[in-house]
This record gives sequence, C-alpha cells and structure tokens, in this order.
Amino acid sequence: MNKLWLSVLAASVMLAGCATPQRGAIPVVDSGAPLSNEEPLAGNGAYRPTPRAATAPAQPRSVPQNDDSGVVVMVPPGASAAPIQSYPAGGSAPLSSAPITPGPVTSGPAPTPAPAYTTPSSAPSVPTGIPSGVHSGGGLAADEQLDGPVLALLTTAQQQQGGGDLNGASSSLERAQRIAPREPQVLYRLAEVRLAQGDAAQAEQLAQRGLTYANGRPALQASLWNLIAQARDRRGDAAGAGQAREKARVSL
Amino acid sequence: MTRSRSSRSSSKRSASRLRPWLGWALKLALVGLVVLAGFAVYLDAQVQEKFSGRRWTIPAKVYARPLELFTGLKLTKDDFLTELDALGYRREGSASGPGSVSVAGNAVELYTRGFQFYEGAEPSQPVRVRFSGTYVAGLSKGDGSDLAVARLEPLLIGGLYPAHHEDRILIKLDQAPPYLLDTLVAVEDREFYHHHGVSPKSIARAFWINATAGQLRQGGSTLTQQLVKNFFLTNERSITRKATEAMMAVLLELHYDKPDILEAYLNEVFLGQDGQRAVHGFGLASQYFFSQPLSELKLHQVALLVGMVKGPTYYNPRRYPERALERRNLVLDVLVEQGVVSAEEAAQAKQKPLGVTKRGSLADSSFPGFLDLVKRQLRQDYRDEDLTEEGLRIFTSFDPILQLKSESALTETLKRLGGRKGIEDVEAAMVVSNPETGEIQALIGSRQPRFAGFNRALDAVRPIGSLIKPAVYLTALERPSQYTLTSWVADEPFSVKGQDGQVWKPQNYDRKAHGTIFLYQGLANSYNLSTAKLGLELGVPNVLKTVERLGVSQDWPAFPSMLLGAGSLSPMNVATMYQTLASGGFNTPLRGIRSVLTADGQPLKRYPFQVEQRFDPGAIYLVQNAMQRVMREGTGRSVYSQLPSNLTLAGKTGTSNDSRDSWFAGFSQDLLAVVWLGRDDNGKTPLTGATGALQVWTGFMRKADPLPLDMPVPNNVTLAWVDAANGQGSAAGCPNAVQMPYIRGSEPAPGPACGGDAPADSVMDWVRGWLN
Repeated sequence: MNKLWLSVLAASVMLAGCATPQRGAIPVVDSGAPLSNEEPLAGNGAYRPTPRAATAPAQPRSVPQNDDSGVVVMVPPGASAAPIQSYPAGGSAPLSSAPITPGPVTSGPAPTPAPAYTTPSSAPSVPTGIPSGVHSGGGLAADEQLDGPVLALLTTAQQQQGGGDLNGASSSLERAQRIAPREPQVLYRLAEVRLAQGDAAQAEQLAQRGLTYANGRPALQASLWNLIAQARDRRGDAAGAGQAREKARVSL
Repeated sequence: MTRSRSSRSSSKRSASRLRPWLGWALKLALVGLVVLAGFAVYLDAQVQEKFSGRRWTIPAKVYARPLELFTGLKLTKDDFLTELDALGYRREGSASGPGSVSVAGNAVELYTRGFQFYEGAEPSQPVRVRFSGTYVAGLSKGDGSDLAVARLEPLLIGGLYPAHHEDRILIKLDQAPPYLLDTLVAVEDREFYHHHGVSPKSIARAFWINATAGQLRQGGSTLTQQLVKNFFLTNERSITRKATEAMMAVLLELHYDKPDILEAYLNEVFLGQDGQRAVHGFGLASQYFFSQPLSELKLHQVALLVGMVKGPTYYNPRRYPERALERRNLVLDVLVEQGVVSAEEAAQAKQKPLGVTKRGSLADSSFPGFLDLVKRQLRQDYRDEDLTEEGLRIFTSFDPILQLKSESALTETLKRLGGRKGIEDVEAAMVVSNPETGEIQALIGSRQPRFAGFNRALDAVRPIGSLIKPAVYLTALERPSQYTLTSWVADEPFSVKGQDGQVWKPQNYDRKAHGTIFLYQGLANSYNLSTAKLGLELGVPNVLKTVERLGVSQDWPAFPSMLLGAGSLSPMNVATMYQTLASGGFNTPLRGIRSVLTADGQPLKRYPFQVEQRFDPGAIYLVQNAMQRVMREGTGRSVYSQLPSNLTLAGKTGTSNDSRDSWFAGFSQDLLAVVWLGRDDNGKTPLTGATGALQVWTGFMRKADPLPLDMPVPNNVTLAWVDAANGQGSAAGCPNAVQMPYIRGSEPAPGPACGGDAPADSVMDWVRGWLN
C-alpha cells in the first residue's frame, strides 16, 4: 500500500514539476502583514511603504532639546512677523491664570502645592507650566511659554503640514491637545490645519474654543479672530468676516 | 520503463495468454497515471494558489491609547509599572533591550519597543523616567539628554473576530527569537533542512509503528507536512489524506524554499484556545501566554511554546502547569542532546518558572464593554469582512489604568453597600471621558465588567431623574436679564393641569417646602418644587431644546414631568450631555476611536476632534458654579468626606421614582464620569443617586486623582460681592459678603464698603459656602 502510494507520488511529482512554473517564478505575496508590536521598527521596515513623502521624521522630537534652535511655532498670518511666544502678556492679568498644561500646577481659589517641586533633586528639566527659559531667550511672559512636549509636537505638526501631510499634522496636534488641552496655540494651529483641509466650519469652531482659553493674550486673540475671519470668508460670509476682523483689531 | 520491463517478461513466457491481460494493465496504469497526474496538477494549483496569495485573514486589532510620557505628566510610578507589566516588560537589572525595564527608587529606566502610529513611527529607544509624587518629574534619553515626549506602544485590548475565529499576529522569520527555529527543528523535524517535504525515514518508522499497533497513531510528519495538514486539509486521519498531504508537501517544497515554509509554519501552527478564539502562530501565542512580542522571548519560553506544538490543549501551561513544565524541560533536554544549547544554558532555563501571565489581568478580550462601543462605531464605517479579515489596526482612546480604577471603585462600593437589602440585584454602568477632548477612556457595561453581555452603558435607557436639572437652570441662566444665580425663586407646593388633563403635583424628596431660596440652591439641593416652577416659567419645550443642544436628541413629550427627569437616556447619552456642560458649552461627539491603520501601517481613517459651540460660555460658567455648589453644600457634598477640599468638582445626583435608578454625573478639569446603578427589571433599589452612584463616582475620583475644575472666567462674566443673606450688593470685607459670578450687567449694584475686615475672611466664607 505504502509502496504503491510512493510510486504514484513520485510520478505525480514528476508530472507536476513539468506542468508548473519553476520555484520562485510565483512571488509570495503576503498581504496580511505582520501585526506584532515589534514589527513597525524602522530596522525591519523593508516591507513597509513610506506612508507619505514627509511623514514624521524622527528628528523633530529632538528639536526642543536644542537650546539654540529657537523654534518659532506659530507666525500668525496677517498679524505681525513676531512669533506668538514673544507676545506680551497684556496689562491686566487674565482672570483665570490657569496653567495651560496639565502639569502639577493647578490654580484656583486655593492653589494646591505642586508636589513635583518639593523634591530636592536637581531637575534639569523643569516641570511643565513653569517658564524655564530653556526653549527661548528668556524674558517671555509665563503664559506664552510652551512646554517641551507641546513645542515638540507643534514642531512635528508644522513639518508634516509643510510636507503636505495635513492628516498627520492634525493627528500630531491632537496629541498636543491631549497633553495641553487648554493651550490656545494648539487650538489655533488645529484650526489652521482644518482650514487648509477645507473645513472652514470646524476651523472657526476650534478658533472659538481657543478664544475661551486666550484671556489676557490679546495678540493671540487677534490671530484667532483673524483666522475666524478667513474661515468666514471661505464660507462666503463677508459680513461675519468683517466683524471678526474688527474684533481682531480691538483685541490688539 | 514500466513498459519495457513488462513487455520483456511477457515475451519470454506464454505470451498468448498474458498479452490481453497485460494490455489491460498497461491501459489501466496509463489511465491511473493520467488521473493521478491530473490530481497532482489540481493539488499543485491548490498549493500555489493558497500559498502565494494572501495566506491568512486577520481580524482587526484594537489598541488602547499609547501612554504618552513627558515631564509634568500626572502619573504615579505604580500606575506606570502596572502599564509596563500589562505590556509584558521584563524587570531586569538594567534596561538592555526593547521590552525591558529596571526600577531604582523613583527612577524607572526602560527600553521602549517602538510602534507605527497614525502620525508616524515611534522609535524604539532607552528612556529614563523620574517620578516625584504623582507626577513625572523628568524624562530623558538613554544618554541622559532631555526628551520632550515619548510614547509607549499601545496595549492590545482585543480584536474583531468572525464567528469561527482563528486569530494570529503575523511575524517575519527575522523576528523569531534566538533558539526558536533550532528548537522547532530539533523537536519536530530534525531532517527539515535535508528532506524534500517528506522524510522516508520518519514515514517508514511511523508506518511500522502504526502497522504493529493496528491503529494510526504515530505522526512522523515533517514540518512541511504539518503545515500542509493545517493549511489545506481537514483533521481526518486516513491513509488517503496522509498521501495527499505527502504529495502536497512535496509540491510545496518544490515551489518554495525552506525559510518560506518555516515562516508559514510559525504563523500557522495552532497553539491554544481562548474561548471562541483559536490562537494560531508563535506571534500571537507569545502575546497570549507571555504578553510579550515574540522576538523578546528567552530560551525557557521558546522551549515551552515549541513543546506545546505537540498538544496545545494537553500542555496548556495555564491549565496544566506541571505537564507543561515537564514538557518544557524535556524539550530543553533534547536541545542539549542535539547540541543546540549547552547543558548549563539548559539547566539555567530549567530553573525558570513557566512565566505565563495570568488571564484577565489586562489581557485580550478583558474589556467587552469598551470593545462593544468600538465595534459599533466601526460598523458604521466598515463592512464586517473588512473588520474581520483585513488586519486593520484600530487605535482607541481607551485608558487601561482608568478602566481598572473605575472597575475597582465599582466593585468596592458594591461590596461596601452589601448590607443593603436588594443590592445583589443592582446592575451598574459607567462611562469615563476626557471633558476637553470628548474621548471615552473607560467604560463599564455590567457590574461584572469582564463578562460580555448586555452593555448597559450604551443600551440601558433609563429615566435620568434630577440629572436633567442643569438643563433647566442653564435655560434660565441664558437669560441674564431675568435670572441670575441669586434670583429669588419659590420652593412651594403647586399643581398644574397637564395637556392630558391630569394634575401634576411635584414634591421634594424630603416632602418639605423650603420657601424662598436663591436660584442656585434649587440645583444644589436638587429641590423639585423650585426647579419645576422655574422650568414651567421657562417653558418645557425650551428646556427640552436645551437638552437637545447639550447633545442629546430625544423625542420626549413636553410634559411638566420631563422637568424632573421622567425622560430616559443611556449613560452614554448622559455623558454626552454633561460633556457639553464640562467643556464650556462646546459640544463634542464622544469618540472611542482615534484612527485606523491598514495591516501594513498605512493611515486609513481618522476620527478627528470636532467641536461646536452650543452655549454662551458665560451661562455655562454660572451653571458650573451651581454644580460646584452641589458638591460643596448640596446633595453631592459627601464627596468631600473622601476627597480633599481643594479639589473643585462639579456634578449632579439623579434618582428616579421610588429609587429605581441611582445616577451621578460629574466632572473635574480632566475627567468626566457618569455612573448608573439600577435593576435590569426596573425594580426598586435601596439606593438614591447620592447613596449609590455618587459613592462609586467618588471612589473612582479618589483613585484617579483628577485635576481641580477651573474653567477660565469668560469675558462676559464678572465676580461681584453680595450679601449671602439677602443677595444685595455688598463689598469685600463686609460681614456675610461672598463673591458670586454674574453675566456682566446682571450683577447687583455694589454695596458700601464696610472696611476693617481682611478680604481673606470673605474668601474663606466663599469657600465655606453659604449657610442657609
């Protein structure tokens, strides 16, 4: 029995061998790509097509570490050439001096002591919410400072936007938003990207949301109003755009 | 060849008698050969079609949020280590390679694994995290330089499986850890690199054993044959199938080289059963048993998995640890015998425990409530086949740490309430979200959160009771010329005749009337009389319109009873409603999914953050103020017996008729949570909103350690000093003076200064709240 099958097998193999293409002629395509955690490493990414031309190089994350880079995150269009970071805080202190990031500082009627600062350890990296002068030349108002992570992500987003990857930029900005949900600069940039994506309605809404967190920051308010004006123009609402521009002027 | 031999023999003997017989035999042989050749060609086509095309369909994988690390992040070391444990990080003396972590005091050094996210690749890198109290105080790279932000890889929390589901995590050959290939070959098929699909030696041996035993028992299969068997054939044991298998094995070897076959084997082999889900391939088995990526496995783990190939059920290390250990050590012995490892290495590996993770800690399929939400959202955008076959990667906002905290808060509270009669029939649901982003972070659909079933967070639509009240007060406070927080309202009995002719006569929970009170007190103390009166003044349809604008579309009839929460909503709906209150009047559709990638890491879809301003931030600010007073002085004040008094929170209790539903919805700066307790049969419970749901909520907040609520004061809001006794304008430093927010222009005229007293006293008064 066994022998018979073996001979039959041998014959069939011979025939099949003749009847079919030789080894390697048919490419082995594995469309269900690996899903494992370790797979997305750059090291074995040979089978991973680059998603987009300029998607997320690793380098932007290193930018904030570079003290001299002087990254300017946002130059509001139409306002001035000065970066947002250097805007004065405004004469009157904002009614809510809430820190922009969910760092240890929480203000309110009774500010809680920030536990992170009580340790005697020499902290080269200053906790968020506290102006450190690390990323900028110093002398900036506290509420115009961006923290390392937010700055890094806004920089990444800017590069993605520059490379035409608006979805990626949007996604990076939402990352920044999760870290600093009340930082109006993040919302400003998000609104800007939405406008570039053609969603003028959301652009205005995000800018409006940004305004609720921009008390005492007149220059930023002006930028947000200007962006709202652009969004309204885009939707054919000339009157509304005019009103927004007026608000921008008043803010400044 | 056959032909010449047979013709020679026939010519020598009695040719006349044998010739027709031989002719027939020849023809038959030819026919047989043709049939066989045809069969072989058919098999070959089958082999090539399946092997060269897409070999497997892969269910979509669902991931939790990746933990973002940065200086200033609110995160305790313990929570961080919980997450690392769930991700299968190995505790080592120093973080030497991906997936390892070392802990020294407040510093945690780890080597991240890297991951492909929607917005780009996160590198695998050494990271040092320094903790201080409940915060990350420093984040640096391996070389000590500062690191702005780093992400861990996200926890895999489940998949979307078809009815009969095979699941696997595909791996490439170069992801195999050291020893895996050698061990597999040594244990399963020593001749693998030398045979052509079948090993005659093994077959002969197996045939001999089977013949003598009288039954088909012995395998003797090569790896190629095992692959063919799993890949193309049924589990039937017969000679025919065995022969087909052998033919296919030879055909497979003819077309593909050894590494190809080995890689397919690694991905195909069955290694365990997880409920309905069949665990296939070493990639998934590694995650399933060790919570680690395959490439990180050590010798003892490799030996265990390879040992299990022989009988995944019999050697299941979770169910039969002794058997599995014995088998693993046997494999290690074989490795020594075959010269794969030294005797010392094997001895060391034998010292190690099995090392399999516990089921249900943070493993796959542990969060049916949240996964159900994800599936529903996905089914709106994808076909079922796309979800179960295409290997999509779904990135969600799920926070396993918050989920565990909400689950333990629920369990502990129910246990604490255990003395109350009927508590055992009480079911539960909970939704936790981020009020700033609208992302769902945790979800509980049952008092036994790990069991799939009726998802009450989404599907229990129940009367919301007093949870409706903020909508009534918001409607009022949107009319600053008519209503302020300190407007006088009457909390007196009254009755109205509804459109249906029935007389409606609301009552307070304590069955008492409270006379003339400030407007905010009606909300803080959840008085029904004043709230209903106010709502009728405003008009029921207007209040329902406010509910709609808060984000919940309902078709409630405009009956007066709706003002006290006769309308029903699911906990998820309630979360949407309170989300708008928490985020300054901006409505955000609640989301559980962030983005979707294809199997090979290409961005496919994003679920972006979207907002729509629905209310004047000033009116929302006032409602939040009143909701803070719920917590400070009203029905929610029991929270401060467990939480620090400087933690500003806002919320509302809800109790439906006869305590059938116990609700609490409330928020801090960074967390919103809705809790529902009630019976599936809608029976009475021994709980009110305050004694039931609020206790769960408080327990959760205590564990989650949220940031105090601090909504920025909108431009149109001013803080004015008023006399707490009569609501008249006052001044800082006056007796009874407290500061209240008003929409600019609606505040009372300031009173004369009293002088003397330090304003600090008044601030203290403000904190203490009003005595009434």
